[in-house]
Amino acid sequence: MHLSLQQRALAVSLLTATLSLGGAFLAARSIGAIAGSSLKLDAAPLPPAMLVPTQQLVAQGAQFFGQSCGDCHGDDAHGDEGPDLHNIAISDARIAANIKHGVKGEMPSFARKYQDPQIAALVAYVRSLR
Amino acid sequence: MRIDPTLWPRLHGASTHFPVALAMAAALFDGLSVLGFISSSFRARLRAAGCFTIILGALGTFPAVLSGLFMTKGNVLGHDAMLYHHLFVWPAFAGLVGLGTWRALTGEKATPRGFAIYLAILIVTAGLMAGAGYWGGELILNS
Repeated sequence: MHLSLQQRALAVSLLTATLSLGGAFLAARSIGAIAGSSLKLDAAPLPPAMLVPTQQLVAQGAQFFGQSCGDCHGDDAHGDEGPDLHNIAISDARIAANIKHGVKGEMPSFARKYQDPQIAALVAYVRSLR
Repeated sequence: MRIDPTLWPRLHGASTHFPVALAMAAALFDGLSVLGFISSSFRARLRAAGCFTIILGALGTFPAVLSGLFMTKGNVLGHDAMLYHHLFVWPAFAGLVGLGTWRALTGEKATPRGFAIYLAILIVTAGLMAGAGYWGGELILNS
């Protein structure tokens, strides 16, 4: 079968594009696996002193929640696209880690927006939801 | 060795603008080259510029995509602005790589029909790149 230059170029282009896209997804899986293992190391509990809830801390957390979390978890935190956060049965450290590092495919990382004291306020607010 | 977690966002920001700008520049150069009032010598120069910009743009997608994947820890879709960003990014990435490859192989030997199809896909790809850039900006502003 004789293919013209145009046809050969088209075939190679489609192949290259497909391989690039496939390569990107394979790279994503590898990177995700590496990130997942490092996440476990990074998810060390925050210092307990930062997680002592006070009224002020809860109020501050509620403010951050309204700014960054309400869109997905609902303004009242009863869930929307994201889950209901009332009476959640995970540790404070895990809540903080989820906020800080995100949940793969589910929730973005807020590490760039919030520092540990602000995350502690968010944890205090989430913990106060009954 | 622990890598600074802000490295990937910085690298993504540094690398991602090249393919966005080059895809748009290639669409502009090649789009202008088909206008009737353009002289043949200027048309040849526009086509040459379009050829180099699309090839460089296609090459530029790889560091942008890789740094983005490291930044999101391998998350290829996500949700909200991240999802919209990725819905534009992936077809734009495949389109730009395919177009760059086709242009590198055919050079100035493209048939008029082949070039017309190429230009149509290039304009769509440039639009997708713009969309990816817009939602990337939304990610920075809103998260």
